[in-house]
Amino acid sequence: MSSGRKESAAMRFLRRWGTIVVIVLAGLGFALASPYFATVSNLNNVLFSMIVSALVSMGLTWVVMAGSFDLSIGLTVTTSSILVAFLMPVVGPWLAIVIALAAACVIGLVNGVLVTYGRLSGIVVTLGVMFVLDGINVFITGGYQVPIDYGETAFLYLGQGKLGTIGVPVIILLVIFALALIAATRTRIGHYIAAVGDNPMAAFYSGINVYRWVILAFVLSAFMSGIAGIIVTSISSSAQPVGGEGYLLEAFAAVFLGATVLGKGKPHVLGTLVGVFFLYMVDSGMNMVGFPFAARHIFQGLVLIVAVGANALLNREEVHLKFI
Amino acid sequence: MSEAPLVELRNLEKEFAGTKALKGVSLSFASGEVHGLLGENGAGKSTLIKILTGVYSPSAGEIRLEGVPVKISSPPEAHRLGLGAVYQDAELVSSFTVGQNILLGNEPGRVALNDRAIHDEAARILAKMGIDLDVRRPAGDLSAAEMQLVTLATLFHRRYKLIVLDEPTARLSAAESEVLFRIIEGFKTQGIAIVYISHRLREVQEICDRATILRGGLVSGTLNRGEVTEDRVTGLMVDRNRSELSTFNNGESVLPDVALEVTAISTARLAPLSFKVHAGEVLGVTGPVGGGMEELARALGGITRHSGSASVRGKTVALATPIQARSAGIALIPEDRRKQALFPSLSVAENICLPVLHSLQRLLTVSPGPMRKYADGVMERLAVRPPNSSTQVRFFSGGNQQKLVIGKWMSAGAAVYIVVEPTNGVDVGAIKEIYDIILGLARGGAAVLLVSSSLRETLAMADRIMIIHDGVKVAEAPKKDWSYDELLAVTLSGISRRAA
Repeated sequence: MSSGRKESAAMRFLRRWGTIVVIVLAGLGFALASPYFATVSNLNNVLFSMIVSALVSMGLTWVVMAGSFDLSIGLTVTTSSILVAFLMPVVGPWLAIVIALAAACVIGLVNGVLVTYGRLSGIVVTLGVMFVLDGINVFITGGYQVPIDYGETAFLYLGQGKLGTIGVPVIILLVIFALALIAATRTRIGHYIAAVGDNPMAAFYSGINVYRWVILAFVLSAFMSGIAGIIVTSISSSAQPVGGEGYLLEAFAAVFLGATVLGKGKPHVLGTLVGVFFLYMVDSGMNMVGFPFAARHIFQGLVLIVAVGANALLNREEVHLKFI
Repeated sequence: MSEAPLVELRNLEKEFAGTKALKGVSLSFASGEVHGLLGENGAGKSTLIKILTGVYSPSAGEIRLEGVPVKISSPPEAHRLGLGAVYQDAELVSSFTVGQNILLGNEPGRVALNDRAIHDEAARILAKMGIDLDVRRPAGDLSAAEMQLVTLATLFHRRYKLIVLDEPTARLSAAESEVLFRIIEGFKTQGIAIVYISHRLREVQEICDRATILRGGLVSGTLNRGEVTEDRVTGLMVDRNRSELSTFNNGESVLPDVALEVTAISTARLAPLSFKVHAGEVLGVTGPVGGGMEELARALGGITRHSGSASVRGKTVALATPIQARSAGIALIPEDRRKQALFPSLSVAENICLPVLHSLQRLLTVSPGPMRKYADGVMERLAVRPPNSSTQVRFFSGGNQQKLVIGKWMSAGAAVYIVVEPTNGVDVGAIKEIYDIILGLARGGAAVLLVSSSLRETLAMADRIMIIHDGVKVAEAPKKDWSYDELLAVTLSGISRRAA
């Protein structure tokens, strides 16, 4: 019962813009410390390096919005990558892409159906799926990387091509971001997924098919990870059977950091992209200034806790009894 | 009325584990009618409503919608058929705006959403309802009453044919209630049938076209507007045939010393009130659901913010948090057992031993042996069935769960026990045992505050009875001064014929 909450303009400003202010300040700091930081070519570098992570994180955003967790996204990247590399010599690049994306969607569908109709927890289901996918991947590749033939120029263009000075994958990322942003803010998809995640009971009584939207969130998450898998294969001209897990933790950091952007307190697509950008910007900046690799993780971790903590302080609940 | 009624119930029966909650109810609701539904606790009102909204399915009987037999298998099915309900706990999406909530599930446009269109439409609905609220406010910032009004607004686009309102004014002020009545008038002119459940007779008299009174799972009578008088309603509600409860507190355990003294306690929804409870005494607090008696229990339990002072056994105590209330010697046994008092997936032993763990531990560890022994003792004394202390609590029936909640606090030695609706959702067989346990607490020298909307229960158990109506204490008197009919009249009307 906090009707008519009184707060100062400063508090309001902090809640809305706090995260952005921190990002801008960090950017200014790096720019002062290194002349190479605030350049177009470095911006290009940061954008290029964050593509895969950004796609995975945007995917995860849907699931967290819907009130669940998806731990299988990292391995979905690997799976789609291996599938596309394996199938390309057999069915050609385009059909291979379609099959890999379809397989990713099936993974999302399985997750979603088990979480809803199967009544299992999102953490458990996607943890299980993660292990299963890992097993399958290592099994079919024998643990070795799968190279892409140098003759597949059209496919390699997706990850390595350039339009002017901007990399093709950066453009793909921006297009997908734009589509996701529209879907999240201007269509029923984002509206209902957010409603279901916030208060499934209210959504249920409003006649919304709750399960359908939760499943869709998982499918969207897996689909975006699938796209990430294809792009990473094209960028590196090969599919790696291990290493996908790394995207998972980054994605969670980005989603929760992103939830504080603009003071929404809930994950949103734009916030996630800002979150990923921040993590990679810090990486690049600290690299240029000469911090050791370990220091970057310490800094990122602290920023995550401080940002989310400050946000929780500003959006204080009366009794806090949720510890997930 | 030449056509078939909008909804017709024919010989509806519902049985729960051998007990019949409905014994053949036949009733009809017409389009554009406000139909009051009255009855004591346990008369079958909520069972009837749950059948109508697809939560339960009937054991026997038939429901006809516009003359066609229908099967309402689930809440979404009820929704599809045009049967909706607003419960006391309004459900809104707190991160959405008022406007987004009002149109949730029915946004204008096909795929794309137009934010402006949603809020314009919502503003139009609110204006039509006469509610003055900014549609862009986040729902999470609304007061409880505002939430309830917004929940009502969500009904507008759902195209219900029949809407059940369950104690809709429980959270509303007088002015807000007027808004509600205007909304109901609006629904009426659209030909929607309203089923209006209330314990407040004045409201029923004011807005209902007809009122049906349930008694013991049967319709005891339907009155037309103008016939709804206190005497007739009381006559139809009171079940003369129902055997009196075999438990009766004759007041022999009351001791002279005051265990709890409350002075001018008040909350946002409770006008300042004072009272005393003696050791060994049961004070029955009753009134309409949501009328303030629950608020009193929550305030004394340290859950709701309040002002005023309280002293336990002559010592002034602070009750700002549940921990303070607990250490002051006040044990609150809440109504919602599953959510607020038990750990359903832990065993009985683990649940019961929680408040006394420190006394069971040796060298900072608690071994299962003493825990089980202690729990077995409590279970035996309370006749919990099955008597197996390693079973998870969720496998017990409602009645046995209630015994466990009391058992959990029993040996914790509180000076004051606040027991809220102790027999709600409890199987008939266990009720007497629970009453005996509660009276046992009083005989043990504790003061008991029995907060209950059941008058029968209050009359059987209490030494003194206090009535809270619309947040105001309207009467307090020893039990011997109350007759059932008089008690019912005061809880219904909120007017005491003698000085409080």
